[in-house]
Amino acid sequence: MTVAEDLGGDAPAETGAVARIPSASARTAPELKMTARSCDVFYGDNHAIKNVDVDILDNTVTAFIGPSGCGKSTFLRCLNRMNDTIDICRVTGELTLDGEDIYDAKVDPVQLRARVGMVFQKPNPFPKSIYDNVAYGPRIHGLVRNKADLDDVVEQSLRRASLWGEVSDRLDQPGTGLSGGQQQRLCIARAIATAPEVLLMDEPCSALDPIATARVEELIHELRENYSIVIVTHSMQQAARVSQKTAFFHLGHLVEYDDTTKIFTNPHDKRTQDYITGRIG
Amino acid sequence: MTLLTALAILIIAAAAFLLGRAKASALAGDNYAQLHSRPNYHGLYSLMWVLIAGLGALIVVSGLAGAVIDSTMTSRASALTGEALSQIQLDLMLNDARAIATGGIPSSVDPAREALAEYYTAAGFWRGVAVLIAGVGAALAALLRTRSQISMEWRARNRSERVIRAVLAVSATIAILTTVGIVLSLIGETLIFFNRIDWRLFDYFFGTTWSPLAGVFEGKLDPEKVGAIPLFAGTAMITVIAMLVAVPIGLMAAIYLSDFASPKVRAWTKPLLEVLAGIPTVVYGFFAAITVAPFIRDNGGVIVPILGLLAAVIVGFLALLLLERARPGFRQSLTRQAGGYGLVAYFAVFALGGLAVIWSANPGFTFDVASESALAAGVVMGIMIIPFISSLSDDVINAVPQSLRDGSYGLGATKAETIRQVILPAALPGIVSAVLLGVSRAVGETMIVVMAAGQGANLTWNPMETVTTVTVQIVALITGDTEADTAAAPAFALGFTLFFITLALNIYALRIVRKYRELYD
Ligand SMILES: Nc1ncnc2c1ncn2[C@@H]1O[C@H](COP(=O)(O)OP(=O)(O)OP(=O)(O)O)[C@@H](O)[C@H]1O
Ligand SMILES: [Mg+2]
Repeated sequence: MTVAEDLGGDAPAETGAVARIPSASARTAPELKMTARSCDVFYGDNHAIKNVDVDILDNTVTAFIGPSGCGKSTFLRCLNRMNDTIDICRVTGELTLDGEDIYDAKVDPVQLRARVGMVFQKPNPFPKSIYDNVAYGPRIHGLVRNKADLDDVVEQSLRRASLWGEVSDRLDQPGTGLSGGQQQRLCIARAIATAPEVLLMDEPCSALDPIATARVEELIHELRENYSIVIVTHSMQQAARVSQKTAFFHLGHLVEYDDTTKIFTNPHDKRTQDYITGRIG
Repeated sequence: MTLLTALAILIIAAAAFLLGRAKASALAGDNYAQLHSRPNYHGLYSLMWVLIAGLGALIVVSGLAGAVIDSTMTSRASALTGEALSQIQLDLMLNDARAIATGGIPSSVDPAREALAEYYTAAGFWRGVAVLIAGVGAALAALLRTRSQISMEWRARNRSERVIRAVLAVSATIAILTTVGIVLSLIGETLIFFNRIDWRLFDYFFGTTWSPLAGVFEGKLDPEKVGAIPLFAGTAMITVIAMLVAVPIGLMAAIYLSDFASPKVRAWTKPLLEVLAGIPTVVYGFFAAITVAPFIRDNGGVIVPILGLLAAVIVGFLALLLLERARPGFRQSLTRQAGGYGLVAYFAVFALGGLAVIWSANPGFTFDVASESALAAGVVMGIMIIPFISSLSDDVINAVPQSLRDGSYGLGATKAETIRQVILPAALPGIVSAVLLGVSRAVGETMIVVMAAGQGANLTWNPMETVTTVTVQIVALITGDTEADTAAAPAFALGFTLFFITLALNIYALRIVRKYRELYD
């Protein structure tokens, strides 16, 4: 947890850190971190997300599941306003982080993205050294005072993404030279180095082997102590293993959102039942 | 007649295609899938051989017949006049004969010429007949041969591929051989030049006076005045000025177009910018000479101090980079000096220093600026190069995958941070080649320099003076009224040196790019 503790103080993006609840009590009563109310997303005329209401809790892993093309990534990207970069994309409805409307004109999307980090579906390391990849966020946000601190952040982030052992002796090599799975873990390390409060992960394990997947799941488990995590996954087992809350999307609708155990044992909706038993997808 | 033959061969080729295709289809019947190659390939194979055989025969027979006619005419000419003719007289006579035969205008007419013309006409007819027979015969033979080869198993597909490969290889060889030929002739002529100046290589490469034709009245070059330094210095100065204008503006325009402009603005701006690239350089040239150069001459009192200031600040910046490298953290500590204004003060010192130097040299700030200056030519050349750099860089920057931008934005980076730290490094190899292309344009540019920078080989550091470039001197030598034989030698030497320098520059830059690529790919 050194990263978050070391950096918590001087990052303007870290205002939410004060409000964080110690993990022990978090288990008993997680707080609301983000909310979406009657959220709609349009790509031009394509109505991709239809009237979605979701609560993302702090210190909780929330899984988004649903068939391909149902809008999971689209909704995830609303949560840190990544959709702003797509010209034809239009988002309506109310989305909040710590009670503040994130689509308010006062909110700087750049600051928001420092608080709500993202790991993408496809690994996208920068064409820089491994070190510079991880140091990118801390550098631009001025999270560290000197080189020693930066070294420390980089090492901690890589360790937590369980990549340190494989790259500790070649931090100056290009990040693009790693294998696909290593690249994905590098991207995870890069995201947590920025010390976000919410971490959005879009199918982070789709390029990973079972061992690396297990490690990432361990990491998610560990990160939950401090962060709120949203993960998109196509693996029911993964959703069942790592998440406490699960949201099932279908054709742009949020069909069902409940405790993971409830969704997987006793779903309310017929469509959810069909999906988790493999009948639609 | 030759044209007719070529037309006939083309018709036969088309027929060969249709016949081959039809035969293959007929052969296959219902067993279409059993046919090794599609009927079109059978047709294509036949067509290609008809063309190769027919046109080949045409070229060979026509060339041979031409040679025979020429040598016969030469010997007849000597026989008819009964005296030994010099080469020039002979050429003139043969040309006259040809002119008479084809209805042109001969220099003079006499019986001998008329006899020759008569022979030329007759021989021309038989030559045409021979070409027709050979060309059409070869084409028909190829048609029959390839048609007889068609069968179910005949691998027309693979074979036509091989023919195509051969044609491509021949084309490539021609291109390479031409290049090699040009380089070899450059080298040869350069050696001749050095021989004429008694191998004073040192004078050529390090001498500072260029006036090789000074001694031309004695029919030879002046080996004392062959110093090429002023020319290369002039080329370098104008190129540097042009790149100082073109690279920042072009690159920033490219960044704006690719990452900031809305699609609508982009759709308008990009073609507009590219119009600049279509303007002939002559137009830029007289724009430079008529508008820019006089403006610079009339406003020397303002421009010179501004240039001095800029130069001083650039020097200060370079010094800062060096200091930072020698003592990391230097810049940061400097920033904290003077109540946070340390960096401003640092540059102010340099700027004032620059002004002071100019003032001490010329207290009245009245400057004698030539009406043709390196600055005018360089600035206009830079404007000319902007579209090359911006258009190419824009393409490269656009080719950087969106996922990299997303990755950076997703970490909370701003647009400017993303561009500077992710996109530009990723696009750098392409940007370097764009800049290199710009440099080669600048080095090779002639028109603008002729009109705006002058022709005097003047060795100077002052961009407000007139200078000349290598290309301009080559033009002056070749178009001047000195006998081509004498004037061409120094021109070739200059051309070869320029070629060598640009080649070395290109190789060096490619090396850097490759190193960078290995690091980051
Ligand atoms: N950049 C875009 N421009 C236009 N339409 C888009 C864009 N991205 C997504 N869409 C559309 O939005 C809908 C939802 O896509 P989205 O990527 O959110 O699906 P997903 O649930 O993440 O699917 P997958 O599981 O395959 O990743 C699809 O119909 C898709 O065509
Ligand atoms: Mg997706």
